[in-house]
Amino acid sequence: MRAKIISTLVITLATICLLSGCVKKTEHTADGKVKQSKELTMYCALPETEIPSYLEAFKEETGITVNFVRLSAGEILSKIQVEKNNPQASIWYGGNCDSFIAATNSDLLEAYRSPELVNIPETYQDPIGSWSPVYVGALAFAVDKDWFSSKGLEYPHSWQDLLKPEFKGQISMAHPGSSGTAYTILATMVQMLGEEEAMTYMAELNTNIRQYTKSGSAPPKNVGLGEAAIGLAFSHDCLKPAVQGYPVEVSFADDGTGYEIGAIAIIKNGPEDEVENAKKFIDWALSKKGQDIYSTNKSFRLPVNSNAVVPQGAINISDLPVIEYDFLWAGENRKRLIEKFTEVIAAKENLK
Amino acid sequence: MNNRTKDFIWKLKMLRKEPVLVLLIIIILSALTIFVIFPLVMILRYSITTDDGGYSLRTIIDVVKNSSYRFTFMNSLKLGGIAAVIATVIGYIFAFTITRTEVPCKGFLKTMATLPIISPPFVLSLSIIFLFGRKGLITNNLLGITDFNVYGMHSLILVQSLSFFPVAYLTLTGILEAIDSSVEDAALNLGASRWTIFWTVTFPLSLPGIFSALLLVFIQSLQDFSNPAVIGGGFPTLGVEAYRVITGMYDLRAGAILSVMLLLPSLAAFLLQKYWISGKGFVTVTGKPSQNRTKIDQKHIVIPLFAICLLLCSVIILFYGTVIVGAFVKVWGINYSVTLDHFRYVFSIGFKPLKNAIILALAATPIAGLTGMAIAYLTVRKKFIAKSYMSLASLLTFALPGTVVGISYILAFNDRPFLLTGTAFILICVFVFRNLPVGIEGATSALMQIDPSIEEASINMGANSFQTFFYITLPLIKGAFFSGLVYSFVKSMTAVSAIIFLVSAKWNVVTTRIFSLFEVSQYSDAAAYIVIMIIVIMAAIYILSFLVNRMDSSQKVAKR
Repeated sequence: MRAKIISTLVITLATICLLSGCVKKTEHTADGKVKQSKELTMYCALPETEIPSYLEAFKEETGITVNFVRLSAGEILSKIQVEKNNPQASIWYGGNCDSFIAATNSDLLEAYRSPELVNIPETYQDPIGSWSPVYVGALAFAVDKDWFSSKGLEYPHSWQDLLKPEFKGQISMAHPGSSGTAYTILATMVQMLGEEEAMTYMAELNTNIRQYTKSGSAPPKNVGLGEAAIGLAFSHDCLKPAVQGYPVEVSFADDGTGYEIGAIAIIKNGPEDEVENAKKFIDWALSKKGQDIYSTNKSFRLPVNSNAVVPQGAINISDLPVIEYDFLWAGENRKRLIEKFTEVIAAKENLK
Repeated sequence: MNNRTKDFIWKLKMLRKEPVLVLLIIIILSALTIFVIFPLVMILRYSITTDDGGYSLRTIIDVVKNSSYRFTFMNSLKLGGIAAVIATVIGYIFAFTITRTEVPCKGFLKTMATLPIISPPFVLSLSIIFLFGRKGLITNNLLGITDFNVYGMHSLILVQSLSFFPVAYLTLTGILEAIDSSVEDAALNLGASRWTIFWTVTFPLSLPGIFSALLLVFIQSLQDFSNPAVIGGGFPTLGVEAYRVITGMYDLRAGAILSVMLLLPSLAAFLLQKYWISGKGFVTVTGKPSQNRTKIDQKHIVIPLFAICLLLCSVIILFYGTVIVGAFVKVWGINYSVTLDHFRYVFSIGFKPLKNAIILALAATPIAGLTGMAIAYLTVRKKFIAKSYMSLASLLTFALPGTVVGISYILAFNDRPFLLTGTAFILICVFVFRNLPVGIEGATSALMQIDPSIEEASINMGANSFQTFFYITLPLIKGAFFSGLVYSFVKSMTAVSAIIFLVSAKWNVVTTRIFSLFEVSQYSDAAAYIVIMIIVIMAAIYILSFLVNRMDSSQKVAKR
């Protein structure tokens, strides 16, 4: 008897689950437009701990509830690529513009020009407007305070400093083939030194590299854990271990540094009843209100809106010797440069 | 009419007698087709589709030709092989000590042997760094070494053996418990030494379980992502490489091909195992009354075994203790003053992701457990069409790297007729089909011990296959049933890579939260979550064990 009951239960349960899976409805307003819901679905590449500070402020402003899924930028790109026929989210917030450029090339983004763009320097903007810049992050060196004071050494202040023999096996950076951060480093060096010389530089740097990490935010963490003395990453990631109490400080390259543009965009063909909400969110994120949050939530991201407040503890990008970083060129040459880098490093590793 | 057609018609006739059984077979086969084969076909199709919609084998050729991928592939095989052997040896020692000897604190040993499947694996890797890293408690503070390298194959072998041996233990306990004590006791009465009995009776009889354990650990090691990603250093493995190609090189097609390549060694191991075991007899449970096993109590056997177990337990305690300590100190690794701040933080964030994880795991566990037992029962005992298809298909989702499982599920279930993305159902499906094999392997090995005539007797007395399954077979293989349930529950609670692409805003779970705390160096907050999770899972294991044991005793009452 009991056997029958259990098996019937299992089967009914499975059927109910199957049937309840597919309910979807759209309502129309009187003038034929799709009625906007009070919700917005977001794929967000910012750390999960930061996200609520933006979403709560946005809700207060507009009454729209944002539901989010946290993924890395590369993961979001893969996800919207396979969801292409029936996208599940309407907006993508955060992540290096490299991945947004790749998404544009695969026709996954819906162009939108926010009225707020007038307050944002044109050098950061996508010429065809398929994504909008929302923050910038300069490349920086995270350094282990304790290690440097015990060795009596000075913090590195240029890219050449990183080649010093005393840093042998002490530097951590991500692999350009797995992290947008590390690719920005590679592209910066190529733009500063020219391709051949940049590859020679990376090969020399390889001697001092302890480990190529998978994730771009890992090198500063390794510094915090004492696994490396110097970590190469964006300044906002470099500052995070220090907030948690790890002995990490930040220095910059005086001979010129590259930067990333963090982006935001509308996903093409997302849920119809959220499109207007997505535009509202972009307008808000680019506005002074949305940008000022970077200074209060310890994210240390640098705002792009020239009216916004620069976070305390972070360094304004205009005070840094940044190079003229050509992100479109970087996006287009990505595959080729990474393959070349991988070859150069593999050849070096074999000699070790 | 030749023999094959005769056989075929005979099978059909047998099945016609039991329509419910036929229905069950059809349900399982179609579920496997929809949730295992269909996504796999979709991702294979995707990887040979070109941008303009045509088909091309370019990607496959490029991947196969690439020598660095071949190197990575061999790395993965080497790691998988070593981890499988070590984990199986450890698992066997624990299982043997617990089922065959008189040792104190068995409850403790059992707990220690299941504990390591609980934690999301990157936490173990973090423990290694805090213990053996450059600023590690042991290497630096204790031994004064400042430049110990924790990254690489040696650490990977340690972490993988440690996190995967519980699967071997669970599989082997199931089979060691199922072996009828009378065969060993008979040998003992005939004057054989314990050593002879072990090598001539116990060990050969447990071979199906050993092969299952080797297979399961080997596959798990191949598809593992989190451990090699954190602690692998310069040692590339195929699972990590596939992820890197997908999310770093934006090349989904090549990544998918790389992951599917991982299926080849797993399938080879599976076929080898089936080939080796087929045609050998392992039956010991015949239905003749047998007494309770006489446990080994000779000191020269018990003491060394107990010592080895304790040694392994202390390693486990060291690693997990580090996590627990981490949850209660100000800044893990830097400031060891005691605080409850991290628990306050976790409580302030709320428990929705934890609640979600528990709900999903509770829904998936009984389905995975029962389906696993049913598949094992059907494939070992019944004759029907597409039997090898059933046993092969049930293994595939387990053998694929989680990331690719997630992507293939989106490809398959983001469109009509199977629009499931964003629902809890799709997550439950992943949990069920990804965690089936542990139960199946355990039950298959156990069923091989049991003489089918016991079940035939039940059928001859007028019971149908269902009653026989629930009242006779299931209690006899309850060890395997229990391990299937535990594994499925724990893995559903702790899955990371398989669900990262499938969680939705509504159905977010605790592991992704832990992972993101880890991302921003909030290690102690992550550790606090882990401690809470360990408590929940331990409670669940005790409840499951209570329920499964009750099942047995209620059967005994029913028999009277």
